[in-house]
Amino acid sequence: MTNSNYLIEVSDLHKNFGDLQVLKGVSEHISKGEVVSIIGPSGGGKSTFLRCLNLLEVPDSGSILFEGEDITAKGINIDQHRQKMGMVFQHFNVFPHMTVGENITMAPVLLGKKKKEEAVEMAKALLERVGLSDKYNEYPQRLSGGQKQRLAIVRALAMEPDVMLFDEPTSALDPEMVGEVLNVIKGLVKDGMTTVIVTHEMGFAREISDRVFFMDGGVIAEKGSPEQIFSNPQNPRTKEFLGKVLH
Amino acid sequence: MDIINNMARLLEKYWNLFLIGTGNTLLLSAVTVFLGIMIGSLLAVMRISKWKIGKCRPLNLIASIYVEIIRGTPLLLQLYFFYFLLPMLIPALSINKSFSILLALCLNSGAYVAEIIRAGISAIDKGQTEAARSLGLNYRQTMMKVIFPQAVKNILPALCNEFVSIIKETSLASTFFVGDLMTQYKTINGATYLSIEPLIIIGIIYFVLTFTLSKAVAVLERRLKTSD
Repeated sequence: MTNSNYLIEVSDLHKNFGDLQVLKGVSEHISKGEVVSIIGPSGGGKSTFLRCLNLLEVPDSGSILFEGEDITAKGINIDQHRQKMGMVFQHFNVFPHMTVGENITMAPVLLGKKKKEEAVEMAKALLERVGLSDKYNEYPQRLSGGQKQRLAIVRALAMEPDVMLFDEPTSALDPEMVGEVLNVIKGLVKDGMTTVIVTHEMGFAREISDRVFFMDGGVIAEKGSPEQIFSNPQNPRTKEFLGKVLH
Repeated sequence: MDIINNMARLLEKYWNLFLIGTGNTLLLSAVTVFLGIMIGSLLAVMRISKWKIGKCRPLNLIASIYVEIIRGTPLLLQLYFFYFLLPMLIPALSINKSFSILLALCLNSGAYVAEIIRAGISAIDKGQTEAARSLGLNYRQTMMKVIFPQAVKNILPALCNEFVSIIKETSLASTFFVGDLMTQYKTINGATYLSIEPLIIIGIIYFVLTFTLSKAVAVLERRLKTSD
């Protein structure tokens, strides 16, 4: 039943935090090159679902196949798989004790993906692409929120991942900086990067996504093309949610 | 005026004792902190270790019990305890009582250092670990490359402050005549029957030591901040 076109295949994922059931059986797949946005109210399980995909949260039951391999199986080396799954966080989480350049080159060099010189060259090219080429030797403290998030994206890209996971990448940004980060993500999508993004930017989700998941109450309550979800939602909860966030 | 005159006479006659006492106090404190850091690091590693047997984390449990007991009982009691216990366990040590005292000081300091290190590490935002792990770094690489380098900035000033408080705490060891500054007070007091005068002198010495070091720590702290 495994489709070779599926990059990630999730079946019957459950996750509890204490007594709280956050994921109540999520089954989905994400194909190579696909762009999926996950929307929904707070506490609906969006972020937990995303964080399960690279096992930052370990699910209580269910399985996750990544490139055909069950990464929830015992004895799997998750670090190997995480190298191919880039992640960008709401609060950037750039490394404050490293320069911009070191932030980007540390992982690929340490993990033996690149020689030092190659990594530096790639870091410079990536920074150029996101408009930060003059910041190579700066410390993150001197960057704005939008610049930090662009750095965080570049840091993840330096591992040359097969999929990028974005966890509310613009939620902690000042409004005037949201655009610059979304533009970088748009660029990636255009280059064919498989992308899963949890976002509250509905216009953005509608524009870039192949499919949209509406998560509520620990399940994917509705899914479909952006057109279907945003213009013709079927589930009353989707309607209610969109009614509140789209003005 | 008598006091001033007496102090002058004491300094003239016993300056070498004050000097030796100061030296011994500093040496005792330095060795205590050094070994305390060794013990404390080990305890801190035990406390953050994730190794489990069933639901229990044995290393964490042992270290936690140790730290709580040491921090929950008076240092003077601990000094007495080791002073009597160690020669019972290892008779050869009854010759050198100072060793028992030094060991007690180190074991005591280790517990406080462990807390300093643990607090320094847990003050680092969880997002740093998540970011490092999401890049594919394993636990050890994450600690070495991301967490420890940041934690050092929290830990270093606190360790220096620990050194400052140990300088004061070693005075308790004078109960066992280990030759520190406070011991010299007892010697001089016994020889001259003067109390206030030698106390003022060693009080000033203690104050100069701790005050200077505290100021130095403050400078270090500011340096570490600006280097961010």
